[in-house]
Amino acid sequence: MISCITPPFILDRLLDSDNEAIRQAALATLLTTARLRGQREVRGLISGALATAADGRRSIFDCENGTFLPFATFVRAEDDEPVADRSANQAFDGLGVTRSFYRDVFGRNSIDGRGMRLQGFVHRGRRYNNAFWDGQQMVFGDGDGEVFADFTGSLDVIAHELGHGVTEHTAKLEYRFQPGALNESLSDVAGSMVKQWHLGQTADQADWLIGADIFTPSIDADALRSMKAPGKAFNNKLFGQDPQPDHMERYVELPDTDEGDNGGVHVNSGIPNKAFYLVATIIGGNSWEAPGVIWYESMRASAETTDFQAFADTTFSKAGELYGAGSSQQQAVQTAWDEVGIRVGVSPTLGRR
Amino acid sequence: MRVSLATHGGLAAPITSRRPPRILDTERMPPAAAGQLRRLVAAVLAEGGGTRRSGRGGDAMTYTITVDDDGRSATITGSDTTMSAAFGALLSLIERQTG
Repeated sequence: MISCITPPFILDRLLDSDNEAIRQAALATLLTTARLRGQREVRGLISGALATAADGRRSIFDCENGTFLPFATFVRAEDDEPVADRSANQAFDGLGVTRSFYRDVFGRNSIDGRGMRLQGFVHRGRRYNNAFWDGQQMVFGDGDGEVFADFTGSLDVIAHELGHGVTEHTAKLEYRFQPGALNESLSDVAGSMVKQWHLGQTADQADWLIGADIFTPSIDADALRSMKAPGKAFNNKLFGQDPQPDHMERYVELPDTDEGDNGGVHVNSGIPNKAFYLVATIIGGNSWEAPGVIWYESMRASAETTDFQAFADTTFSKAGELYGAGSSQQQAVQTAWDEVGIRVGVSPTLGRR
Repeated sequence: MRVSLATHGGLAAPITSRRPPRILDTERMPPAAAGQLRRLVAAVLAEGGGTRRSGRGGDAMTYTITVDDDGRSATITGSDTTMSAAFGALLSLIERQTG
């Protein structure tokens, strides 16, 4: 069985290192799949090579309720102390935790893998009920105060949005139909992993909710979405029932329009979300370890039009590459997708083995 | 002139789409605000009626503003990531007047 503490994407990067010892260690690991665990000297060299404290520097801007970002006022830089504005500090901290997560867990230097600056814009618009990633920066609304609260208050929402940035720089999944729902799901996976990593929670301990903090106390809703129980995040008179399916049998066909949510990208993401939750709970322990590595590697191996089936197939083959064919991790991947109605590892080629 | 704003998409898309549209009627507005609304609508229409959907991922919201004036109707669209300054000003005015 192949078992390696350092994921292949980090090893690939280390092969480009200027340090001969690191290159040799990475090469040896790739060739022999030797475990690096316990080899303190090598691990020290690796962490040194990955240290990028100066990279992904943060800047926070205050839109002062405007919608035109170039007019925003700069309020906090990477080395500045906290400022008086709570939203600015929350955005700053959320960007920082997410940046640390990608660096420490996946060896990824910021959103683009090359130290891209992280810019956050707070107080965008008036009573604006959203947070989004515009390809360059993260933008936060204050919420209307009735249904939604300040969007900077949710770490999983911040990580979700930055996750869109990572997807844009890797798989580039188009934002419609299944590739779009997969795009949304990968951001929810990022959001939940970052939150769990920050809180030190195992898969069993986590709530698997996205946006639990963005509703005002008066709203009867657990969260925006539940990865554990898609379709059950909310059910109230004000905005009805959570429309997310948790199985392909309940896949919601919607048109590729604004009204149709680009083919239901925020709706059908419930299916791959549930699959990730199941993989993480079946494997057990921390979601950002084997489950996260399998998903991250599979995202990097995906493309603009990758659909659910293709992504599921990729996670199955990646689990085999990373942890061995027939490993418990690969079996967990197969079981999880099967439970949401997507069969993997049953092609004629694989079936004969 | 009657102006209706429908909002779609965003992080909370399934919830956002179920919220009722915001509606403004110049007959029920202070003259100064009504005049400003007419000017901003004219400015966005002069630009060609806003922009199409961004086509880019990342939870941007899209806006459809329907203008009914003296029997004529026009639709203006924009998104968080592609709106012009004029569209942004119109959007802000509608949100301010209906907030």
